Amino acid sequence: MSENMPLSSKIPTVLIADDDIPNRLVLQAILERQGYCVLQADDGVQAVDVFRREHPDLVLMDIKMPNMDGYEATRQIKAMSTDAFIPVIFLTATSDSEGLARCVASGGDDFFTKPYKRILLQARISALLRIRELYNTVQYQRNELDNHQKRFDREKQLAKRLFANIIETGSLGLPYVQSMLSPMSLFSGDILLAAPKPSGGLHVLLGDFTGHGLTAAIGALPVSSVFYGMTAKGYSIAEIVTEINTKLKMILPTDIFLAACVIDLNPGSHTLSVWNGGIPSVMIYGEKEQEITRSLPPRHLPLGIASDESFNQRVEMIEIRQNDRIYIHSDGITEAANPEGLMFGRQRLEDVFVKNTDSAELFNDIRNELIKFQDGGAQQDDMTMIELRYNQQQLEDTVFHDKAQSKRAEQPSSTWDFSMGLSADLLGCFDPLPLLIQSVCDMQGFRGQRQQLYTVFSELFTNALDHGILNLDSTLKGTADGFAKYYMEREVRLSNLADGSIKIYVAHQPNAEGGLLTIRVEDTGSGFDYQENQISLESNVGHSGRGIQLLNTICEKIEYMGNGNIVEVTYRWR
Amino acid sequence: MSVTSEVSTDDNTITIKISGRFDFAEQNEFRDCYYDTSPGENTQFIIDMSGANYMDSSALGMLLMMREYLGGNAANISLINCSPDIKNILTVANFQSLFTMD
Repeated sequence: MSENMPLSSKIPTVLIADDDIPNRLVLQAILERQGYCVLQADDGVQAVDVFRREHPDLVLMDIKMPNMDGYEATRQIKAMSTDAFIPVIFLTATSDSEGLARCVASGGDDFFTKPYKRILLQARISALLRIRELYNTVQYQRNELDNHQKRFDREKQLAKRLFANIIETGSLGLPYVQSMLSPMSLFSGDILLAAPKPSGGLHVLLGDFTGHGLTAAIGALPVSSVFYGMTAKGYSIAEIVTEINTKLKMILPTDIFLAACVIDLNPGSHTLSVWNGGIPSVMIYGEKEQEITRSLPPRHLPLGIASDESFNQRVEMIEIRQNDRIYIHSDGITEAANPEGLMFGRQRLEDVFVKNTDSAELFNDIRNELIKFQDGGAQQDDMTMIELRYNQQQLEDTVFHDKAQSKRAEQPSSTWDFSMGLSADLLGCFDPLPLLIQSVCDMQGFRGQRQQLYTVFSELFTNALDHGILNLDSTLKGTADGFAKYYMEREVRLSNLADGSIKIYVAHQPNAEGGLLTIRVEDTGSGFDYQENQISLESNVGHSGRGIQLLNTICEKIEYMGNGNIVEVTYRWR
Repeated sequence: MSVTSEVSTDDNTITIKISGRFDFAEQNEFRDCYYDTSPGENTQFIIDMSGANYMDSSALGMLLMMREYLGGNAANISLINCSPDIKNILTVANFQSLFTMD
């Protein structure tokens, strides 16, 4: 600080304004002996002029002078130096109170009656210079603070815009989603992201950083880019949370972490998958039961704490029925305080569900109850909540925007092929679909067709794995709670898988309009009697038949070979 | 002062007592409680929460800092006498997998 302060190091300069030359000489002698640098002026006009040029530290001002008197000269000097303190001492022969009052009114800081007593004059001058120095120090520090504040505000604004751009590329604003995100400071410590999957359905992430403000905003950048990027490429939520955990563990300090709940809403299988690390229980409100039917508690540590080796990516999967409502909220909701310091709490939240008479109003009811409870009390934490109503049709109709794809320059249609073989140990722990789709789209572009391609690959691979290798019975899905049983059984068999393999062959041939993509999937299972089943497959309308029906509408040709363990489809694009 | 520590040399434990609000304001006091100790291999740290009536997520972060400083998985830290509210905050974050809790 002292380095930047240009004050006390230099010799103070004093300006003497007096038309009486002997007077000036006496003062000059006194001051120079004291070590001051002295400037002189004959009258008021000259005094103002010298002041403007030389910037003295203090002025001794006679009152009666030709051209301009001391009062006016003082007023002008004071007007010139609004952001610094320049002491002006009037030199006066009179001691009448009216004259002295005029000295003060014109901006004088002190006055001194002739004849001068040297010691007194010296004492007054050095006292006023000390005040000037103090004033300048304060002024300097205030300017510094001002500049810091301005710079900080500017950076905050910039970061806020950046943050908003990142967070709002999501697809909140869907007809079956209601949400609130009320940050207590400029940046929220909470984040809420939602993105449609290429295979249909939706991924949602609700997160709550330790603290809020800048640290939270910085952490939000990698979280949202991993979430959106990996969802668009077809990765599962288990893979997404693993990747986010790795990233956050790497970049965040030990005491900063992200409590997060990530869900996968899947209209194909009527399932809800949840990975919850540190977010209050996810609640499912049954439309039929008119009450909370399930509660999925946090099973894991928040993201950014566990090392890669100890990270637990295990996801809980449950069946979900039409119009069931899913609620996820940050602890800011239950910890919202009223003016008496009492917390809203879990019980009051659950009571809203009990009192409610129209489930369409549940979200509003919670919000209103919360506002009523807070009663204008100060918000303590970020409050974030989301409601998702499960509607199979609306979820399937949610359009997947392939942003990366649509921006890429058109690639010429060309000839290529590749194949991939997956053995049992890999099938148990690796999902090849994101890699496959990414490779195919990288090679050919397939503008705007990523979602369709994803469906084709996903149906073919899932059939080969579930029925060919794992021997799962799809009629199990026909029963009311069959879906959950089916997926539980699938998980068990997958983790115990010892034998079997799947081969995938992909080839592309260009033609005049676009090209023909051939996909062949072969598994080592026992196959099925496809000639016998062909008709029933085509007319099948149950859940389990949906896959083949869907393929029929997308692909030009579906052909079974071998003993039903090989399937080949042709996809025409233009 | 709302964070105090007492060292019992005979049975190799260091007890840190928290009272009032356990949040970011106590950061330095809390850190000093374990920074200056020279724990042996079997030293047990006990955080006595009997006097604490509030805990926020930055206090969770402070516990993580302590755990890391004392050797991560090798650290021996117990949280005792937690009120139901505080226990709830700790279990929502699944901290029972990192700290011993009664």
